[in-house]
Amino acid sequence: MCLGSPYCRRVEGNYAEALDLLPGVVSRLHAAGKRAYVATPAVPREADLPHVIRLVDAAASAGADALEIHNMGVLRILREKGGPVPAHMGAYANVYTHLAAGVMRDSGAVRVRPNAEVSLEEMAILAREPGVEVEVFVHGKIPLGVTDRCFLLTESEESDPKCPSACGEVHWLTSRQWVLKTVGKGVLSGRDMCLLEHLPRLVADGFRVFRVEGLYESAAYRSEIGAAYREALARAFAGGSFALEDRWVDAARRHAPRGLCNGYCFGTAGRTYVGTVLQDPNPEV
Amino acid sequence: MAELLASGGSMEMVQAAFDNGADAVYVGATGWSRRRVEFEMDDAAIVEAQRCARSAGKILRVAFNTLPASSEVPLFMARTDALYAAGVRDFILTDPGLMMALKNRHPDTILHASVGCTIINIQDAIFYKEAGASQVVAECRMGKATMRRIKAEAGVGLEVLVHATTCYTLLGRCTMSSYTKHGHKVDASGKDHFPGSPNRGGLCYRICLTDWDQVGATGEIEASGVELPNRAYFLADDIPYLIDHGVDTIKIQGREYSVPLVGRMVRFYRELIDACVRDRAGFRMDPWRERMAGIVADRDAERREKTTGLISESLG
Repeated sequence: MCLGSPYCRRVEGNYAEALDLLPGVVSRLHAAGKRAYVATPAVPREADLPHVIRLVDAAASAGADALEIHNMGVLRILREKGGPVPAHMGAYANVYTHLAAGVMRDSGAVRVRPNAEVSLEEMAILAREPGVEVEVFVHGKIPLGVTDRCFLLTESEESDPKCPSACGEVHWLTSRQWVLKTVGKGVLSGRDMCLLEHLPRLVADGFRVFRVEGLYESAAYRSEIGAAYREALARAFAGGSFALEDRWVDAARRHAPRGLCNGYCFGTAGRTYVGTVLQDPNPEV
Repeated sequence: MAELLASGGSMEMVQAAFDNGADAVYVGATGWSRRRVEFEMDDAAIVEAQRCARSAGKILRVAFNTLPASSEVPLFMARTDALYAAGVRDFILTDPGLMMALKNRHPDTILHASVGCTIINIQDAIFYKEAGASQVVAECRMGKATMRRIKAEAGVGLEVLVHATTCYTLLGRCTMSSYTKHGHKVDASGKDHFPGSPNRGGLCYRICLTDWDQVGATGEIEASGVELPNRAYFLADDIPYLIDHGVDTIKIQGREYSVPLVGRMVRFYRELIDACVRDRAGFRMDPWRERMAGIVADRDAERREKTTGLISESLG
């Protein structure tokens, strides 16, 4: 489980900001047999670097299993501290090539999440880079962009009464046939990435790390989508025939009010869907 | 003394930039830079541009600042080898792996970390220095305190864009365009131009600049016609500060604009910088504002036209 939000330090209950909460939550996850990763800010300006340094120290003290890193400066800070915690390069780290993955590995990264635009075919090449594993994003809203000015506020963060609650609400951006989701300092896809029916291929290609993105989603989303993928992956790893269970399909569709997509994985526009089971018969966005 | 670096979207623009006072010009290698192919150059044109630069005693930089597929790395090495053999030494890159590979292969190359690296703090700057860059481009909203710190402590040159755009999201960290439309166009060399992805191929459909409605959870319109701010800016007031604090390169972006407009921008900044250096104590900005306003108005008109075209293209 990845704790904290990389988008904004002011997000309510942000484990990446309320560092005193880390020991307790990491312990609970470990006691449940889970691994605990902690997100670092995706857009750390100079003034944020002292907090980043404290975050690295706190995550290490708490026994976190990795830090999710989006910014090369944060990777360098971790390395200069002697790499007390492994690094997982996150969605905004712009990992496109195996050479970049290698540079990040040499700075302490043990895992990379390729940029959303990287196809499965390209990821397979990345995965051959020694010493670094590839995390495949299999379900959830696609991170499309990040900024350090909150779109949902009309005043400064310190004075706007809508902060910090605004990004916890659901806000879409719609235009023509496009739908995006704004979370204030992040822009996400309107549709949910879904690789459910492609899991056998991912397993056959050798991928072993799969990400369900639950940030800014409901507890029910995380629980039901997570359960669907846990079952589906077990089925895919078991080998033999693989057919989607109705309950998985129902969960995926129910929690994607704007539809499903996976086009990036197949070298096409991110909002398209490639597949035979979960394609939307009447795609409108 | 800060170097004035200008855009070279064509041979004509390269010449105009040098004629109007640029100390250096950057061009994009076809299929490898953050602009569409119409504003890039093949090797023959790059070599000609290099000759033009050398004859004027100036510098040409070649941008390979898109993020390719891993399978395209051999193409990158072959292309940079060829340009190196033709005398090119200055390159602009984004991928830290490509930076290290090029620097290791040709240690006397001069590498600059592109605006696509999204360098926002001093640790970023040092990271890219360690990857082989001798100069880094500041992210468009970098504050002056960070610039000062990088100059004082990072041991790497600093380049500041004085004419560019502040994308809605962080430049270099946005895939909104390719979410809507993304294709493949492989050229004769085997390079995919990835139309629709500014990170990978330079063509951005600027969908942020269309009209958006903000809609709530139950479908209610919260706000109509909202803007996702993506503004072209034209910095002049900060020029004295940049000169005073030893910024190494003052950069004018604009390969997609008309040659006469880029020529006017270069001439404006050349004269502004020279006037500031000549009489720093007596320098005043007010006399420059009217001329700047005219350039900005013409720039905005060209940009609007291009943006309308790009958004239409994304819908096709």
